[in-house]
Amino acid sequence: MIEITGLSVVLPPAVPVLHGIDLVVRPGEFVVILGRSGAGKTTFLRSINRLVTPTAGTVAIAGRNVTAAGPVELRELRRRIGMIFQQFNLVRRASVLDNVLAGRLGYVPALPSLLGRFPATDRDVALACLGEVGLASLAHRRADTLSGGEQQRVAIARALAQSPDVILADEPTASLDPALTGSIMDILRRINVDRGLTLIVSQHQLETALAYATRIVGFHRGRIRFDGPPSAVTPAVVDLIYGDGAPR
Amino acid sequence: MKRAALFVAIVVLAWTAWDTGSDPIRLVRGLPWIVDILRRMLPPDLSVLPAALLGAVKTVEIALLGTAVAAVLALPLGFLSARNVAPASVFHPARATLNFFRSVDTLVYALVFVAAVGLGPFPGVLAVIAYTTTSLAKLYSEAIEGIERGPVDAITATGATRLQILKFGVLPQVLPLFLSYVLYRLETNIRAATVLGFVGAGGIGFYLQTYLRAIEYAAASTVLLVTVLMVMVVDALSSKLRARLV
Repeated sequence: MIEITGLSVVLPPAVPVLHGIDLVVRPGEFVVILGRSGAGKTTFLRSINRLVTPTAGTVAIAGRNVTAAGPVELRELRRRIGMIFQQFNLVRRASVLDNVLAGRLGYVPALPSLLGRFPATDRDVALACLGEVGLASLAHRRADTLSGGEQQRVAIARALAQSPDVILADEPTASLDPALTGSIMDILRRINVDRGLTLIVSQHQLETALAYATRIVGFHRGRIRFDGPPSAVTPAVVDLIYGDGAPR
Repeated sequence: MKRAALFVAIVVLAWTAWDTGSDPIRLVRGLPWIVDILRRMLPPDLSVLPAALLGAVKTVEIALLGTAVAAVLALPLGFLSARNVAPASVFHPARATLNFFRSVDTLVYALVFVAAVGLGPFPGVLAVIAYTTTSLAKLYSEAIEGIERGPVDAITATGATRLQILKFGVLPQVLPLFLSYVLYRLETNIRAATVLGFVGAGGIGFYLQTYLRAIEYAAASTVLLVTVLMVMVVDALSSKLRARLV
């Protein structure tokens, strides 16, 4: 269970992005955050694992307060929250396997990891996660030699390697060829169904959102304008989310 | 505005020409002397070749050891003076210190170290370390400031510690750049080390100065040729290596 209460974020120098967001996400949900660019979707996702520090409000995961956590507890909370980014954010010069192994950093002994040594069991976890996204054969390639779609799959494997309860995905298909959108979203759905993970995914594409979500949350200018199942998304709701009668 | 700037520039340059006694006619009058020296430099006196080669090896050794030690010493300094890594209270004093020590040339450091530890290549090594550490630290810190934020965010999101973020998010991005800067510094340090001998800090410059003082121009020209050859070889090797890094 993820409980978000009164979450507000003002980014420096003085840009208000989120205005008192309240949201409860139950385990196993596939939530898609819908909204135009600039609606606050990215900031919202980054507040959940505190890559962005909220100005006010709280985020709690399984009853543990992320907002008030000290450094050690925050790392412990973060390792159970996988994150996928629009730009994949792989370390380009590192191998595919090394990128996925980074997902184990919260679990492995610190000192050996700094020397680049990982326990065999963690290597096995990383390889299994690569297999889950169908890239086991590319484990030893350099990350930047892969195509965009493949890189995003490596990023998903890295998130899975964290053995997470929750995965946050910030516009995971926005920098990919439209033809690849389905393949990435399919993998995310499989993770949601097979592993029972909670997913919070931001999307600006309506059709994709409706096809995959179990629940749609519509953001408009830092506020929640809609919250309900995809079947309840009527043209009027779309207008509400995308706002001002503008084409989506 | 443009005209005023141009006018000021002309006035300033004219004054500097007058104040430095820069006189083309004097240069023309001196030309025969230059021709005379060149004539006396030819042919090179190859009997001093072994000595020149020995000096060249010393110079390479000075630059190599000095650059290697500086490359390591500059690491902590580089991180401390990177805006996106160090807190402002550390960053500002670190940057100021770097800029202060970097404004002194290797040759000046050599003068100081010759006075401190005596003649020979050792003060040369120390001088190379002193200058290169601060100049590499500056280059390192700029590389660190130029890294992509994304991979660092991604590693942070896994629950990694600060040191793990450094090792897995930052170092893979900057290490190839660091190596390339070290090689570049090695090239410039070889050139800088050729004149260290002038102030008694060892290497090939010592021979050049000795022969020039003794008016043995033919011997001096052998030393010069060896110097040029040495610099060219190191430049070629180093730029080949650097091209493979980036």
